[in-house]
Amino acid sequence: MLSREEVLKIAKLARLTLTEDEIAFYQKQLTRVLGHIQDLNQVQTSKEAFVQHVPNDAESFREDRAAPFANPEGLMRNAPAVENDSFLLPTIVEHS
Amino acid sequence: MEFGTQTIQELLAGYRAKNFKPTEVVERYLKNISERDEKLNSFLQVRPEETLKRARTLDAQIDNMSTLPLFGIPLAVKDNFLVNGWQATAGSKVLSGYISPYTATSVERLEAMGAVVVGKVNCDEFAMGSSNENSAFGPVRNPWDLERVPGGSSGGSSAAVAAGLATVSLGTDTGGSIRQPASLCGLVGLKPTYGRVSRYGIVSYASSLDQVGPFSRTVWDSARVMEVMSGFDPRDATSSKRSVPKFTEELNTNSKRTFKLGVSRAWLEGVDSDVAKSFDSALEVFKKMGCEIVEIDLPHTKYALSTYYLIAPSEASSNLARYDGVHYGYRTQSAKSSEELYSRSRGEGIGREVKLRIMLGTYALSAGYYDAFYLKANQVRRKIQEDFEKAFTQCDFVVSPTSPSTAFKLGEKTDDPLKMYLSDIFTLPVNLAGLPGLSMPCGLDSRNLPIGFQLIGKPFGEAELFLASHQYEQARGQFALPSMLKGKG
Amino acid sequence: MSLEKYESVIGLEVHAQLMTQSKMFCRCPNQFGSSPNTNVCPVCTGQPGSLPVINKKAIELGVRAAVALSCEIHPESVFARKNYFYPDLPKGYQISQYERPYSTQGHIVVRLKSGDEKRIGITRIHFEEDAGKSNHESYGTLVNLNRAGVPLIEIVSEPDMRNAHEAGQYLRALHSILRYADICDGNMEEGNFRCDANISVRLRGTEKFGTKVELKNINSFKFVEKAIEYEIQRQVFAIESGEKIIQQTRSWNSGKNVTEVMREKEQAHDYRYFPEPDLPKLMISSKWFEQIKKEMPELPKEACERFKKAFELSDYDASVLTSSKELAKYFEAVVAHCKNGKASANWVMNELLGRLNAAGREIGDTPVSETQLAALIKKIDSGEISGKIAKTVFEEMFATSKDASSIIKDKGLVQISDPAALESVVRKIIEGNPSQFAEYKAGKVKLLGFFVGQAMKETKGQANPALLNELVKKLLDS
Repeated sequence: MLSREEVLKIAKLARLTLTEDEIAFYQKQLTRVLGHIQDLNQVQTSKEAFVQHVPNDAESFREDRAAPFANPEGLMRNAPAVENDSFLLPTIVEHS
Repeated sequence: MEFGTQTIQELLAGYRAKNFKPTEVVERYLKNISERDEKLNSFLQVRPEETLKRARTLDAQIDNMSTLPLFGIPLAVKDNFLVNGWQATAGSKVLSGYISPYTATSVERLEAMGAVVVGKVNCDEFAMGSSNENSAFGPVRNPWDLERVPGGSSGGSSAAVAAGLATVSLGTDTGGSIRQPASLCGLVGLKPTYGRVSRYGIVSYASSLDQVGPFSRTVWDSARVMEVMSGFDPRDATSSKRSVPKFTEELNTNSKRTFKLGVSRAWLEGVDSDVAKSFDSALEVFKKMGCEIVEIDLPHTKYALSTYYLIAPSEASSNLARYDGVHYGYRTQSAKSSEELYSRSRGEGIGREVKLRIMLGTYALSAGYYDAFYLKANQVRRKIQEDFEKAFTQCDFVVSPTSPSTAFKLGEKTDDPLKMYLSDIFTLPVNLAGLPGLSMPCGLDSRNLPIGFQLIGKPFGEAELFLASHQYEQARGQFALPSMLKGKG
Repeated sequence: MSLEKYESVIGLEVHAQLMTQSKMFCRCPNQFGSSPNTNVCPVCTGQPGSLPVINKKAIELGVRAAVALSCEIHPESVFARKNYFYPDLPKGYQISQYERPYSTQGHIVVRLKSGDEKRIGITRIHFEEDAGKSNHESYGTLVNLNRAGVPLIEIVSEPDMRNAHEAGQYLRALHSILRYADICDGNMEEGNFRCDANISVRLRGTEKFGTKVELKNINSFKFVEKAIEYEIQRQVFAIESGEKIIQQTRSWNSGKNVTEVMREKEQAHDYRYFPEPDLPKLMISSKWFEQIKKEMPELPKEACERFKKAFELSDYDASVLTSSKELAKYFEAVVAHCKNGKASANWVMNELLGRLNAAGREIGDTPVSETQLAALIKKIDSGEISGKIAKTVFEEMFATSKDASSIIKDKGLVQISDPAALESVVRKIIEGNPSQFAEYKAGKVKLLGFFVGQAMKETKGQANPALLNELVKKLLDS
């Protein structure tokens, strides 16, 4: 069983504030799902052989040509708060 | 004339014959939405004036419609696609009020070829779910039985087409989110090969698994949408440069090919008996068409669930980090520090199932667990892919039911995520292997609920998938309509 | 305090912005100084649904850097996501490279003030995207994403440096190479060349590294050396007073001339790196690599060799003149105009650089242009002015940015090369100094210099020295 502390640690890493009910719920559900996942240990695998999901004929590069985006207002319109054409956070950012 | 259940083919024929104009058709669909969707909750946004404006410009082009393969086709778009000026919530409170500043490549291509967006449709939050009950905007109901779910996560996309509120719709499929709801709503749903359709402009859930695909009434319609929207996109570095066949033309010219279908009996254990029966009778139809059925082995598919629930949440935990209340979307009212602003905005804005997967993925990627979880899952993923590679040396398609059961009741599986996850055991491996998978209706169960048949093709084998399923469709005949549409033609 | 008992171990991490037209993963202009949030698009602001596409030119510039730093290039490398939350990181992750960077194991050789050379190892170079900028105001934080997504290479050195001077020289050499090869603009004030230093100290003769402190965001060469010097002393002092060095991140306060704690590092970050699923592997084919190598601009080392040969310069002179691209360019322009390599080298190194250094200025804002200096040298070579007068003229040029010809004209400094005019001056001096003339005639030939000096004085230094010499000798001996 995943401990309450472990759940809180994960939630902190993921920046999720949880209610008491949620902590209990996730403790139970994470434990269940992680328990189920243990079945992968039955599979013999080699370290080198993992999936390459990108098709081998995909184009990796773009030429270096600048083209300004046509709708910058559309980006700023969605901001929760704007000041001096910048995204505004009401708080001082602490060094994390 | 009553509109709603027409196919693309039928609408195009009607336009060509000048029986009606795009505005008339679109008006009728908008009316259907306003009349029928109250019960279904499939639409999250309609913009009748915008839609009609667009239809009117098409009215003026009717004499040039031959250059527009989707001329005047009403299209519903899942709310995790960005369409400039439309909302894009992805079914989440954290994106409520978000207005798209640009348009997804797939939608852009369909619109350029004449499709008319009639609305944005409901889905499980961030495309995570199999019943559409995880939407922050309420569940969607199945037009075949309003007490039941339409499947998920693209539940709005399937319900809308099934109920005649759009001719075709777009969904995304990360572990079955197109095929399973298509199956539960009696439609054709395609998850294309990874890289076939651009992902640019769809809200990412799990980048290495997500694909865009269509819902339609017929295989031909699916083929038509795919030939317009597929192909290389310079804005998506995972899209393939392979040329796109004219899928609908191939249906006309190649209609009499026979195929070998591979079945893994071990994989099929535990499906509902009605589903098993219907699947077997569909195989009989294929046999009558001259197809051969061969037994194949997919020994690693039983690990698909665990593999999927490590890889998808891991990628999701990173993909969803951007919803932190800083640049757009929901922001908490009560934050004393920026750390609190992120955590509360996310804690308050993101729903229960999505949080579960974010935490699962965060855990799987965290220091000390990466090798045992994320890396291991990617190694097993390779094994699953190899199973299919081997199977395809013996057959042209791997076939299965799309879902182990038909539509279940609302609330039936919400208490137990793992039980819900099992709805996708036949669809998950296809995403993990990056293959194309198509679901089409093959029968009804004892409650008159549709059953889906899944064909899984080789990479970029969409043309053959369409051909085989089109032939089956011809042999099967017209599929039934949900009771709410009976008598509405 | 017994600093000598200790040895410091320094490694540098340099972030260099690449000189591309567009950003790393989107087509926004890579441009400094635009108004806030104007060089932005769905990709670099992390809008839902947006996807990155790699800028080919950025990769080419990165490969160039790896070649210039004698690094190994990996034909296959992987972009990875570094996950953390910060307001100027709109996606919640930075696209970077982690386990498999595109380049490892290089080195550069730097020249120390002792005259010795030292080889500094380079551990790795990897690609990443820059973050935006947060401005902290009293009412909150303002985020500008113009810089978000600008292409960077991070160059990580081995912990090979043992004092601030070595670190400074390494940084200068690196800067010079990146500027030479048109990889990075190198403007430290604008932040397109940034340096973090890892510093620890240990007792001389011990193997084990001390606890390291990370010094962040030092934005000029001068500060780098000062900050490192301060930090070494701080650590030694702490150890000597029985304190333990704590692993932490500090920053340089250039107002107070001290390093200050930015954050403690009790719990290490958990960045949850994993391969970026939105991008294919980064493939650098040998064909492409060869092409990039073929198109490499000249590097400082190569320029130095060329200068030695073309202008017959000493090792030292050539290396000074090629120490920065601007200086080398300046020097070459002077030579091109005056056709005198040797004199150009002397004037640039002794007069110009000396005065620039004294004034704390860079070659970029020299008050004397290339053509102005060349014109001055030409006047010496043609005999219009003497070398001595030229120094006076140059002083004036440096102070006023005026042309040599106008200074010479205004002050009447033209050299007297008319034999008749000089002869009358020399006769006057001989007549005025009969006793010295007699001594000379008696055999004290050393007095020749006395007469030349007096005559020069009489002409206020404007006499053509060679001609004057000749005339004095002729008249004394006649």
